[in-house]
Amino acid sequence: MAVGVTRLKRVIGAAAAVTVAFGAAACGSDDAGGTDAGGAVTLEFAQWWGAELPAGEFDKIINDFTAQNPNIKIKLLSAPYASTKQQLVTGAASKTLPDVVGLDGAWVSDFAKQGAITNMSELMTEAKYDPAELASQVQIENKTYMIPVVNFVYPLFVNKDLLTKAGVDKTPATRSEFLDAAKKISASGGDVKGWALPLDTAVPNGIQNDVMSWLWASGGSMLQDGKPNLQSAPVKSTVEYVKSLNDAGVIAPGALTMKEQDKVEKFTNGQVGMMIDSLAHINLIKENAPNLKFEVAAVPAEDGYTGKRGIPYASWGIGISDSTEHKAEAFKFVSYLMSKDTNAKLSTIANGFPGNKNAQPDFSTSDPLFKTAFDIYQQGYPANEFVGLPKSEDLMRSFDEQLQLVLTGKASVDDALAKSQESWSSVIE
Amino acid sequence: MTTTLRTRQRFAKAGVLTGLVIGGLFAALPVLWMLSTSLKSNGEVFQNPPQLITESFSFDAYAEILGNGAQLRFFLNSYIVAFAVTVLTLLVAILAGYAFSRFTFPGQKTINAVIVSVQAVPPITLVIPYFGLVVALGLYNTYPGLILTHMVFTLPYAIIMITAYLNTLPKELDESVKVDGGTSWTALWRILVPISVPGLIAVGVYTFMISWNEYLFALTLTRTDDMRTVPIGIQLLMGQHSYEWNQMMAMSILGSIPVLVLFLLFQRRFIGGLTAGAVKA
Amino acid sequence: MTSTTAPDTTAPTQEPVTPDRPRTTLTRRLSPFGYLSPTIVLIVVLMVIPIVMVISYSFRDNVIVQENSVFAGLANYTTVLTDPNFLAALKNTAIFITVSTVAHLILGLAFAMMLNTQLLGGVTKAIFRIVYILPWLFTIAVIAVIWRLLLDPSGVVNYVLQTLGLLQEGVNWLSDPGKALWAVTFVNIWSGYPFFMISLLAGLQGIPNDLYEAAAVDGANPVQRFLNVTLPQLRPVIISMAVLDLIWTSQQFALIWMLTGGGPLNVTEVLSTFTYKQAFSEYEFATASAAAVIVLLLTMVLAFFYVRLQKER
Repeated sequence: MAVGVTRLKRVIGAAAAVTVAFGAAACGSDDAGGTDAGGAVTLEFAQWWGAELPAGEFDKIINDFTAQNPNIKIKLLSAPYASTKQQLVTGAASKTLPDVVGLDGAWVSDFAKQGAITNMSELMTEAKYDPAELASQVQIENKTYMIPVVNFVYPLFVNKDLLTKAGVDKTPATRSEFLDAAKKISASGGDVKGWALPLDTAVPNGIQNDVMSWLWASGGSMLQDGKPNLQSAPVKSTVEYVKSLNDAGVIAPGALTMKEQDKVEKFTNGQVGMMIDSLAHINLIKENAPNLKFEVAAVPAEDGYTGKRGIPYASWGIGISDSTEHKAEAFKFVSYLMSKDTNAKLSTIANGFPGNKNAQPDFSTSDPLFKTAFDIYQQGYPANEFVGLPKSEDLMRSFDEQLQLVLTGKASVDDALAKSQESWSSVIE
Repeated sequence: MTTTLRTRQRFAKAGVLTGLVIGGLFAALPVLWMLSTSLKSNGEVFQNPPQLITESFSFDAYAEILGNGAQLRFFLNSYIVAFAVTVLTLLVAILAGYAFSRFTFPGQKTINAVIVSVQAVPPITLVIPYFGLVVALGLYNTYPGLILTHMVFTLPYAIIMITAYLNTLPKELDESVKVDGGTSWTALWRILVPISVPGLIAVGVYTFMISWNEYLFALTLTRTDDMRTVPIGIQLLMGQHSYEWNQMMAMSILGSIPVLVLFLLFQRRFIGGLTAGAVKA
Repeated sequence: MTSTTAPDTTAPTQEPVTPDRPRTTLTRRLSPFGYLSPTIVLIVVLMVIPIVMVISYSFRDNVIVQENSVFAGLANYTTVLTDPNFLAALKNTAIFITVSTVAHLILGLAFAMMLNTQLLGGVTKAIFRIVYILPWLFTIAVIAVIWRLLLDPSGVVNYVLQTLGLLQEGVNWLSDPGKALWAVTFVNIWSGYPFFMISLLAGLQGIPNDLYEAAAVDGANPVQRFLNVTLPQLRPVIISMAVLDLIWTSQQFALIWMLTGGGPLNVTEVLSTFTYKQAFSEYEFATASAAAVIVLLLTMVLAFFYVRLQKER
């Protein structure tokens, strides 16, 4: 008997020991965030911006804030850009979203609906903040959920050397000039193509940046009264134009699974002559290809179009978690980032345009191309109709899939647009 | 007669070598390209035509990784997590494997089936409920959280392997201990575990590798940079707009070294270990 | 994490040798549960609970994104099972996992047999062993990125094939709808064969030499020896590994997502990418859960056959 009991005890004891070890280990959790003994509040700020900026620059901006506000500490959390959205969705589901979050305009509607991010209009009222300075706010049902901090416009990038070599001396300003230039570049030898069109469906941003940009540049719209309007003449002519570029064989191969990064790499290496891309890439291109001669221009418009041109843009937006206990402090931080001087500083180092109307980015040290782009920007208007739409990534993807069918000859433009209209209508009510 | 045999053998040897070289190229060329990319400047990565060694050949990317405290922290985290996962997985799996191998008990098949089938749920759907659970348990952004999570994924395999391994050992071994008045507990630790060392190494190396390379949960269950592991560090180099190609590749090459060293150290026993488990039918 | 080796889960069939003493019966009955308790606690708390939650999501509507979700019965299952994209993903997954597993097996076996040869010296074999496990050492994100570079229309693969005169012009490996699934499968084969190889190598080394000698005495040629000795001896290993490889390959997400994102034209859409899009792009966690449960059920069929095969041994 004794032997048996001892044996049993030992077995159970060992098992219990292991189990307890887990339990004990489990208690060692840290608790980031919240208020510490000294009354200072720690705000967690999840973003992918720090990694995109020159090392240490973002920390300086944050340190200036904490120096002014000794009772608030900022803890920067960074995640790979590609996983940011999934992280935020997961965090929001468990009410553990960081206090302040970096956002892309395309996500706002979904997070607002999920109750993950808070209505900042209320916070502005409480803080007696005057939003007149803000260049734009992303609103859902007239309530602000995101403020664009820095905007990156997407002009046309042109490789001057390739253009000259192809015998084109004028940067294309209309669709037919662009087609013509693209054909000549593609005919100029080597594996060089006129244009790059990234249509990878994992991150289907190409629809926004490289396809719809043609529509917006000619003053067109994919919506009417907030409802999808994809079978309109302007949208149809845009898709037909992209198809004509494809039929002419001027698009770099591999478009259907090309990613945004690939597009930039191919332009940088002189494998494509033209692309529509974020201005933020100027420094990157110069760094990787110091001898490349290129310039930026407005995205070409329909022949004969004289109106204002819409310029696609993407933003580093900011929002506040709905579950944070420190909304006032969080908003204080947001208004700091939006203040005239800070915003100008941040835009300058990020090579973007400020989200504060009165902030003047410092062009003195940056590339002259930024000045050009700023002029283009001021002559046109920022256009990105995907911002604030529900499930906008999904909308882009379904449009992408239809466009791929058109480009591979498996669907007509009309059918594809009818299908897209149908699937968009089921999402946007 | 002997000459033909020798010629034939020589042909066979040449044949096998050719086969091995072709297979080796298949295995190694992409890795060679990784190495080559790690020694290039970012601008040269997409060069056309591609070149193995470029003008700006340098080890800068390695220096940058090794000289960056934050990056080194990723390595430290990966070491801590992977080692703990390996040790704990082995410990728990030895106990479980022993139960499956040496006892007959009610529910044995069911428990076994559950252990096999929990592997079948796509992790991507588990992320949200799992995350909620880890937060509720207070394990979010902690080493134990990561370690226990990785264990859930390494345990089923480890248990299956160790059970198989113990099954190959004759029962007489542990029975002899019991005849001498020892318990099943002593039989396990005094007799079975020592002779199973090669098998345990085999399972351990594999466990280490799973933990070292795991991305989804390592990302979801950690929040601050000081808790991130190497695979996340690598993905942090893939920015919104551009990749740090050379650093990314340098970091993966550096990351592969510990596993390679482990494999080199244990290669003989590793293969021996699998043998014993694998052969018994 | 995509391949594995030879599990042998069959419990010993013999009853304890020692005579059954009534005193220790209780201990003998309970001690296996003692040994198993850490495993059971861990698996139940961290695996079974989340799985049960996923199953419960699959019967509700608007889970996660809204506070009050309602019971939806089998509606999510109907939605998923009638979605042409899901059915296409199911088909692609079947192709992807079958081809991958068969190729892993064939390559693994071929490499293992070459590495097991008596004709070469130990050092040569050791060097090749290291070379052959290389694909195993890298995290999947890097594997995807390096292969995207290699398979780029103006990348290394096309360059080499064109230089060798095997191709007239560059092929769009990943963006040609007719080739993408094969290209993705190829990359998966590359990244996953080493574990098969190592396990089979171990298996080969364990086959007693006298079996081959006996076959040689019977006048069997190398092919017959392979078919009559090697394969039957490796059969249990092969079956176990194949089943686990099928399960693990069906969950391969990161590789496909980063290589093609399921495109072009959805030809590389597999169950894992489909589920991901449902969850994190359409915010339909309920249908994503339903899809996951369907995958679980399908895998359980596989697991059932596996257990059966284990018992037959």
